[in-house]
This record gives sequence, C-alpha cells and structure tokens, in this order.
Amino acid sequence: MNKILLIIQREYLSRVKKKSFIVMTLLTPVIFATFYGIIIYFSVQGIKGSSSKIAVVNNNTTLTEKLVSTKNATYTYVNKSLPQMKADLATAGYDYVLYLPEFSLDAPSGVQLLGTKQAGLSLNNKVSDDIENAIRNQKLKASGLAQKDLDNLSSSVDIDMKKIGDTGKEEDSSAGASTIIAYVGGVLMFMFILLYGIQVMRGVIEEKTNRIIEVMISSVKPFQLMMGKIIGIALVGLTQFILWIVLTGIISTAVVKFYADKTNITQSSVSAALKKQNQNQMIKEATEKSPIGNIQKSLANLDIPKIITLFLFFFLGGYLFYSALYAAIGSAVDSETETQQFMFPVMMPLLLGYSLSLSVVTNDPYGNMAFWLSMIPFTSPIAMMVRLPYGVPDWQLALSMALLILGFIGTVWVASRIYRVGILMYGKKTSFKEMIKWFTYKN
Amino acid sequence: MLSVNNIVKQYAEHRALDDVSLQVEQGKIFGLLGPNGAGKTSLIRIITQITAPDSGEVIFNGQRLNSNHIAQIGYLPEERGLYKKMEIGEQVLYLAKLKGLSTAEATKRVRYWFEKLEMGSWWNKKVEDLSKGMQQKVQFVATILHQPELIILDEPFSGFDPVNAEIIKNEILELNKQGATFIFSTHRMESVEELCDSIALIHRSKKILDGSVEDIKERYRNHTYWLEYDGAYDTNTSSEIFEILQQDHKQGKSVLKVQLREGKSANDMLASLLPLVNIQRLDEVIPTMNDIFIEQVKNKH
Repeated sequence: MNKILLIIQREYLSRVKKKSFIVMTLLTPVIFATFYGIIIYFSVQGIKGSSSKIAVVNNNTTLTEKLVSTKNATYTYVNKSLPQMKADLATAGYDYVLYLPEFSLDAPSGVQLLGTKQAGLSLNNKVSDDIENAIRNQKLKASGLAQKDLDNLSSSVDIDMKKIGDTGKEEDSSAGASTIIAYVGGVLMFMFILLYGIQVMRGVIEEKTNRIIEVMISSVKPFQLMMGKIIGIALVGLTQFILWIVLTGIISTAVVKFYADKTNITQSSVSAALKKQNQNQMIKEATEKSPIGNIQKSLANLDIPKIITLFLFFFLGGYLFYSALYAAIGSAVDSETETQQFMFPVMMPLLLGYSLSLSVVTNDPYGNMAFWLSMIPFTSPIAMMVRLPYGVPDWQLALSMALLILGFIGTVWVASRIYRVGILMYGKKTSFKEMIKWFTYKN
Repeated sequence: MLSVNNIVKQYAEHRALDDVSLQVEQGKIFGLLGPNGAGKTSLIRIITQITAPDSGEVIFNGQRLNSNHIAQIGYLPEERGLYKKMEIGEQVLYLAKLKGLSTAEATKRVRYWFEKLEMGSWWNKKVEDLSKGMQQKVQFVATILHQPELIILDEPFSGFDPVNAEIIKNEILELNKQGATFIFSTHRMESVEELCDSIALIHRSKKILDGSVEDIKERYRNHTYWLEYDGAYDTNTSSEIFEILQQDHKQGKSVLKVQLREGKSANDMLASLLPLVNIQRLDEVIPTMNDIFIEQVKNKH
C-alpha cells in the first residue's frame, strides 16, 4: 500500500510541476472568465440598448401609416431625395437612410437601409418588424378599427418555464440554460477522459521505452505500478478541474463586480440584477430581446453544486474505466506510433457517446436512447453529464453510478492482466489475439 | 543462500528454461553465463520475482521466495533506464523508497554514494543531461542503495569506459567483502575470471555446466604446456612421454606446445629433456573460461 502511495506521489508531482500543466491551469480560467465577461458585457449593452437614428426617405404613397420610433430606432421623415440624403447622411446626424419605394401593401418590396456602417442583424429585423407593423396597422384601420383599439390589441405574454420536481415543488427551468450546461458538461467530460486517459498511456509507454520498467517491477507489483499511475494522474485531473472552478469563480466574480460597479447596478451579481429588472416594465422589452438575460436568470436556478459533484464522480468513474484500457494499450506497444490500431476500438465508444449525447440526448433528454446511453459505462459519463441539467430521476443516477463502478472494476481487472505481461514484452508487434492470450496467462 | 530447483518456464511456443537447478553460496560472486537468448534473463526475472516459474521453486535463505525478499535483492537489468525528466537525486531516492527505505535513511545513503562515486554535483541534473556512462553509475547506485543481500547484475560493464568499469568493479569487490552475494549475468568471459567464484553455464534453456571456477578449470586442464628452450632437439623423434602439438623455431630458440601422454607428469618430461636442451620456460596451458565457454557451446550444437 505504501508503495502505491509512493508511486501516486511521483506520478502526481512530476506532472503538476510541469510548466505546461501550470500554464494550462492558469490560462483556461482566464479564457473562461473572458468569455463570461463578454457575455455580460453584451447583455448589459443589450439592456442599455443602442439607438440608431434613421432618416426615412418616403417615395411611397400607399403606406400612410408612419413608422413608430422606439428605444432602439428613431425614425425621422425627411423631404429629400435618396441621392441627396445619401450625400448628407453624416452631416445631418443620421446613422442610416431608410428608403421606402412605391409598393403595394400586399407585396412590399424594394425597401433599402443604407448607412456608412453595415446595419446589424437585430437592427435589420427591427426595421422590417416596424414596417410590417405599420402595414398591418394600416390594414386593420382600413377594416374599421380605431387607433385606440389597436393600442389595446397588443399584449405581451411572458412565459415562466417551471419544472415540477420530485417533491412536487416547482423549479424554474430553461431549455436554453440546460442545453448550454449540458454541452459544457459533455464536452468537458469527453476532453478530460480523453486527455488524462492518453496521459496514462503515454506514461506506460515512457516507462517501457525508458526501460525503467524492469527496475520498477523488481520492486513493485505490476498492478501497484498501474494503479499508482492511474490514481496519480486522476489526482492531477481533479487538481486541474478544481483549480479551474475556483479560479474561474474568483475571476468571474471580479468581472461581474467590475461591470456591476460600472453600470451602477447595486445587486452583487448581474444575474440577480437581471432578475429584478425583469419585473421592471421599462427594461422588459430589452431583456426579452436578449436570450442571454434569460439564460443567466435560469443559470441561477440550476443546482450547480450538485452538477459539479456529479461531474467529479462521473469524471473519476469514466476516467478509471477508460484509463485502465489505455494502460493496457500502452503496455502492449513499444512506441506511441504503434498505438493506432488499439486506440480506435477504445476511442469509438467514447466518440459515439460524445456525438450521440450532444445530438440525440440534448433533443430528447428523457428518451430511450438517452436512458441507455447514460447507463452503459462506455458512454454513461458523457451522456449523464448531458442529461443532468434537464433533471434525472435519482434511481437512474444511482443505477448508472453503480454500473460505472462495476464497469471500471471490470476494466481495471482486464487491463491489469494484459499489462503485467505486456510491459515486459519488447520488440514484438502485438496483435489483439496476442493480448487475449496474455489475458489468460497464469502468473 | 539461493537455490534454484528444477525451474521450468514456458513461453507460448518457446521453452525458456528447462529444468534448471543451481546453488549460489552466501558471500560469493556467481557467474551466470550463456550465449544470447540462452535463458539467463528469464532465470533472473524469476529470481527477482518479475515472473513466476511454471514449475520448480526458488529458495532464498531457507525460505521459499516471496514478496518479503524484494527488499533483500538488488537488480540491475541489462535493459536499464531511468525517468528522463526526473532529477537524479529525486529519482534514486524514489527507487530506494520503493525498496522500503525511509526518506531520511534513503537521503543519507544517496548522499554517501554520490559523494563516494564523485557524483555529488549531479543531484539536480536530469537524466537526459547525463552521458550513458553517467546514467549507468546512477543505476548502479540505485541497485545497491538498499544494501541488498543478493545483488544481481545483468551485463554490468557494458557501456562503461575502462576507468569507470574499474571503479564499479572495485565497489563490487568491496561490497562482496562486506558480505553481499552477487550474481553476474554476462557473456564476457574476462570479467568472469577476474571476479567470479563459481559459475553456471546455460545454453538453449538448459544448464550444461556449473561449479567453482577453479574446479571447472581443473576439469578442463588437458596436460598441455608451453615449453621454451635453446639447444638442438629433434622434434621429429616421437616421445613416449609427450606429444608435440605445435612448434616454432627462431634463432636457435624453440617454443613447443606439448601435451603429456596418459600417466606422465611434467617432471617426467623435464627429466627426459634436461640432458638434451637448455630449458628456459615451462607454462601449463590453462583453458580460459572463454575457451571452455566456446567449446561447451559448440559441442552442444
């Protein structure tokens, strides 16, 4: 046992001390935080809104209804020709010229929006909405409705999505936020299992090509060496993950605080601020238009600590499951270039789990496919991470966890039998048949 | 101290060891000889518990070999390596601790040996910065650091320059004097004659010869002598006492290689020659281990 600890210690320290590890660990949260900062920046910008001044050159006689200015776009009708207005655009203090040519109300066409800057997609949509509204209003008025009736006509509905939890309690939910968390969880899980599994394989190959393996095996059992390496590298992965979360948390809080101060939002976090402002009719329109605002709101409603805890469990389980297989592969070859033929069958289920999880499971998180993918240990770590934000019944979680534990005990057992023979084999091209033979060797 | 009894090891199609038995005595240097692929490494791997035999047993200090003996055995494999990116001092410490030394004790001993072998300045160097000979010194230290009773060295001198080979040889002799038992696996016969007390010769998975070096040489003595003299002696006359195998005559000096006939002694030969010539030198031709090795291996083909 003491020897396993020594091996774990070496495997862990020799990796954690590496420059590449330190750089990756410090840099990634900065990238996360920058990303987060950008999202907040734009959602804050969205609330404040930028207003475009638009000069309307109206050559149209059929559309008598005027375009109504809103916060994001103010329309000013000018008595100038299009070429004239184009020339005067900057000096007259407008951002864009909207050109309304003669068209029939049933088939409006030829409308142009011109500006020195390219108009964004949202402005484009806004202007076309406004024109459509004007046309509709005119048609409604023509059929006898008064302006007063028109004002009463529009009402805005805000749907609050709630999921009924196991206890019957209502929980806020958002398909958008769940999907994002599902993607992030699935991708991270895939990345972690692959990265650290391959590190195990590299470590085994390194010991083999260095020829230190024989010295090691004369002091420790092959199983101890393999498990020491697997656990040591698992701890490296956990260290990295936890540092990422802590550092991302610290940096994000700082970023949020920075924006909060800047925009005079008194709540400690922007998401809280956004929630509050949601009730504020003044800004409601802006927030509605910004899906990010919604996502931030419901992010706060997901059980993040539970997701992180389960992520750690499924990472460890999935990693142990796959890294044992990688260790067996590493033991069977003499150099990394020979690993190809064995890598493929190990990568396949992982890749399959990854792509199915991100397509099928995100679309139908409660379906049969999702259920089975999240039960089979080959795919369950990724599939479960993807399902988790949508809510998974406790019994399914427990079953999946139990199966994963059984799964990795199985792969560790199989791998250790191949490993103990493989590490002492040099200079032979190994085949699957050979590996099966090793498996059946008596010691 | 170590007895290997009727070991058989079979790899798929190939029998690596076929009923091999041998005894290694306490405090001796034992040579395990044989051509490449004879089965030496397979036997060593069984003694070091890297693999287990299919049948037969190994007795270490009266007990059947078990994992408690790992700390009492030091092994320097022929294919040896170190972790390339790890610092030397740390690495030797790690290997010593795996053999069961405490950190403090291991540190003390590593410092002692590094000092002794003039490696003091290497502590923080990485393996990749050392020459091959330097790496072997490090590996040698790692092998003996935990003061094993039995030290197994597989081709210990390959890759050493003569100066370092001498240093290592002296360390081996000193450790041997302090009581350590050695097993050398090699096919370099000159080091065998210098160091080994007894040997076993393995060829094609079987032990074909063993015993003390002196006994074996005695066994392979064939009463052959180098005889140098001046004076006239007709080498064409046949003698009842000896047979001339080879002759060389230069400026009145003659050198003969002679073999005594059955039942005759060197004194008989001298008595017959003394009246005729002026004898200057008489040397017995003692077979070298190399000769014995080659003869044995050839015979078995």
